Amino acid sequence: MFPADFRYLRAESLPHALDLLADGEDVKVLAGGQSLLPMMKLRLAVPEAVVDIGGITELAGVSPDGDRVRIGALTTYRALQRDELIAARFPAMTDALAVLADQQVRARGTVGGCVAHGDPAADLPAVLLALDASVTVAARGATRTVALGDFLRGIYATDLATGEIVTEISVGAAPPPGQAYEKFEQSASHLPLAGVCAALSVSDGVITSARVAVTGVAGRVFRSFDTERALAGAPAEPASLEASAALAADGAEPLSDQHATGPFRQHLARVLARRALARALTRATGEVPPR
Amino acid sequence: METQVAQVAMTVNGTPRRATVEPRKTLADTLREDFGLTGTHLGCEHGVCGACTVLVDGAAIRACLMFAVQADGSEVVTVEGLAPAGGGLSAVQRAFREEHGLQCGFCTPGFVVSLTAYLRDHPMPSGAELRDALSGNLCRCTGYQGIIAAARRAAGGMEDQ
Repeated sequence: MFPADFRYLRAESLPHALDLLADGEDVKVLAGGQSLLPMMKLRLAVPEAVVDIGGITELAGVSPDGDRVRIGALTTYRALQRDELIAARFPAMTDALAVLADQQVRARGTVGGCVAHGDPAADLPAVLLALDASVTVAARGATRTVALGDFLRGIYATDLATGEIVTEISVGAAPPPGQAYEKFEQSASHLPLAGVCAALSVSDGVITSARVAVTGVAGRVFRSFDTERALAGAPAEPASLEASAALAADGAEPLSDQHATGPFRQHLARVLARRALARALTRATGEVPPR
Repeated sequence: METQVAQVAMTVNGTPRRATVEPRKTLADTLREDFGLTGTHLGCEHGVCGACTVLVDGAAIRACLMFAVQADGSEVVTVEGLAPAGGGLSAVQRAFREEHGLQCGFCTPGFVVSLTAYLRDHPMPSGAELRDALSGNLCRCTGYQGIIAAARRAAGGMEDQ
């Protein structure tokens, strides 16, 4: 199974990559290739040229920087999974990385590629959205940073313009410890039919703030503002979670396909929201909820 | 458009290899056609079945989802490179034989490579971890029970390799 013929351009540095991108009309950026290669083989993507940024080592790695943690776009899922800072502070990311795709994809797939691809059924964007991530994008002579919620536009659609490359994803360095990710996967592809990430801040027995993000259900990963509002100010106990989780898919225009109907996806989102919230609350308070 | 060709050089099973390839040629096709290493099998060819799994710089990856040009300069190990140099089988290969971890054998190279990489990094896995580690490989014959039994046996016997 061959992709269509293309010109291969290996970028030696970020400026070089941006020059190569700016020179072509129909150029795709190749990072880990775990989404791009299948699309090229199925001729869903038929680029005239491919710029391989895989060798730009300075775009890989996790580094704390003041009140943010910077994740280089070329950081693989596997590298993220093995990073001590991620393991220590971002339990929801650890949850997602453990159930994301498989060993082979985790070794090649990158965080930047995931975000740039804009797949509405990807695991990590739900976690990143719940953690208030921002995306740094470079073009020739310019760099901009945009909130992930504004970057993800729709099915395979993002804010990324021609000539731009995602260089970094950053998240707050002190996220709420009460965070968790839950998914229900399509068992052949491992993609989530629905996935929910919850991040709770708890103080003096009260949920002071909540961010809940849902993937796989609609055309883009979205925050469930109704659930978040219902949780804010509620007592930090399991009884608070049920009613707010029931709102998790309200207002969503659900996807429907051969794997799951829209109403089923919405049902999954409500169930997974309850589970993610329960686990997040356990992690926030250190208490094990009653069964 | 004039077809571009590129020179690639990589170490495969310890031996330096070179090939002239079109950019769209996958690592899997290059291993099989240019280097004659047909132990790497191609099932689905689009990143689902895992039959083409090889090690690139130590990581188990799908050779059908990597262009050969991306592997330029890499260290590649295929199923042919797993057995000890003096002959015989690796611990994982032996476990597959002893536990009937294969029937037709088509998917087996991918399973063996995936499991070899996983056990190298996770010497004492649980059953659930083994299932997850092998979730990127499909087998249409065995029903997986023999494969998991082989994986458990290999995990128990890695140290005597």
